Amino acid sequence: MSCSKFETDIALYAGGDLPDGRIARVASHLAECADCRALADELRAEQALLGELRDEPLDDAMLAAVRQRVMAKVSAKTRQPSRLYWSLALAAALILAAVLGRPRHQTKRVPVARVEPAHVAPAPRPHLVAVRHRVVRPRRRRPDAPAAQPRPPLLVQFVTDDPNIVIYWLVDQKPQGD
Amino acid sequence: MTAWRRENTGDLAAFERIMSQYERRVLGVALRLLSNPHDAQDAAQEVFLRLYKHLGDLDETRGYEPWLYRVTVNICRDIARGRRRSIGLEEVPDQIAPQPDAYHDAERAQRREIVRRGLSCLGEKERAALVLRDVEGLSTREVAGILGSSENTVRSQISTARVKLRDFTGRLLRRRS
Repeated sequence: MSCSKFETDIALYAGGDLPDGRIARVASHLAECADCRALADELRAEQALLGELRDEPLDDAMLAAVRQRVMAKVSAKTRQPSRLYWSLALAAALILAAVLGRPRHQTKRVPVARVEPAHVAPAPRPHLVAVRHRVVRPRRRRPDAPAAQPRPPLLVQFVTDDPNIVIYWLVDQKPQGD
Repeated sequence: MTAWRRENTGDLAAFERIMSQYERRVLGVALRLLSNPHDAQDAAQEVFLRLYKHLGDLDETRGYEPWLYRVTVNICRDIARGRRRSIGLEEVPDQIAPQPDAYHDAERAQRREIVRRGLSCLGEKERAALVLRDVEGLSTREVAGILGSSENTVRSQISTARVKLRDFTGRLLRRRS
């Protein structure tokens, strides 16, 4: 087997990523191939450099700029009313509009024909008549009559000057004997 | 009460504390995946805005790092696809300035810079797998979970990426010498 076929496995072996089942074969090849050992050493050296990149200091100005931009946007978001707020506000506005716009109980106005005053006959003045009245009483009962007997209603007759108009008024009386 | 719960009640200060805890890691991963500071900042910003949006949905007991890694990788992938531009070996300048942080010696810093440039020459999936495995130090299983792939697929991507990166750095070093 040529060295090129070991290359990918050596790359994994150098980083400790080679599965256990393939380690022995690669280790055996490295033991007898100086070029592949050199390759493995170079790969390890590069991995060490890559690891150092993580600890490299970053430009504080870059970090500050990112943080400033993020916090500015986040602060603006928290100041803005949420979508829920706007949804509730819209719902309230719709309800209010529905209540205010609802038709009330209105009486339908019927157009009334206008009557010219000239066609209206003058109303006759009411004829006031003097009223007299008399009370028609039933006959008095004797004192020995039994007490608390219901009495018939009292009839009051109003007599007007007009012989065609007589007014009768029935008045309940107290039971006799009270 | 945990920081997440406090945040759920609208405490912006708690969210900022959470962000400060993870911002370096998120921005660092975005930088390595995108190789562009502006794109990486945009990606990190989007990651934390999504974090704020989904705080209430996250399961505290499962931890936030897997979620943050997954979202970071997805956002960086979207940004990279929108950009649709990859850096070839010819575009990498011969003179790579060492980082001014005096992190170890200048020679090592320069080699790290070469490796960083080499990452940008990898394919999208290989780069993500290698960054999560070799830079972030996650296990193969964790990487597979974040990328939504099988462990065998991740192993294949990692081995290919390591070999490609080694070829890239070797060619660049030979060209410079």
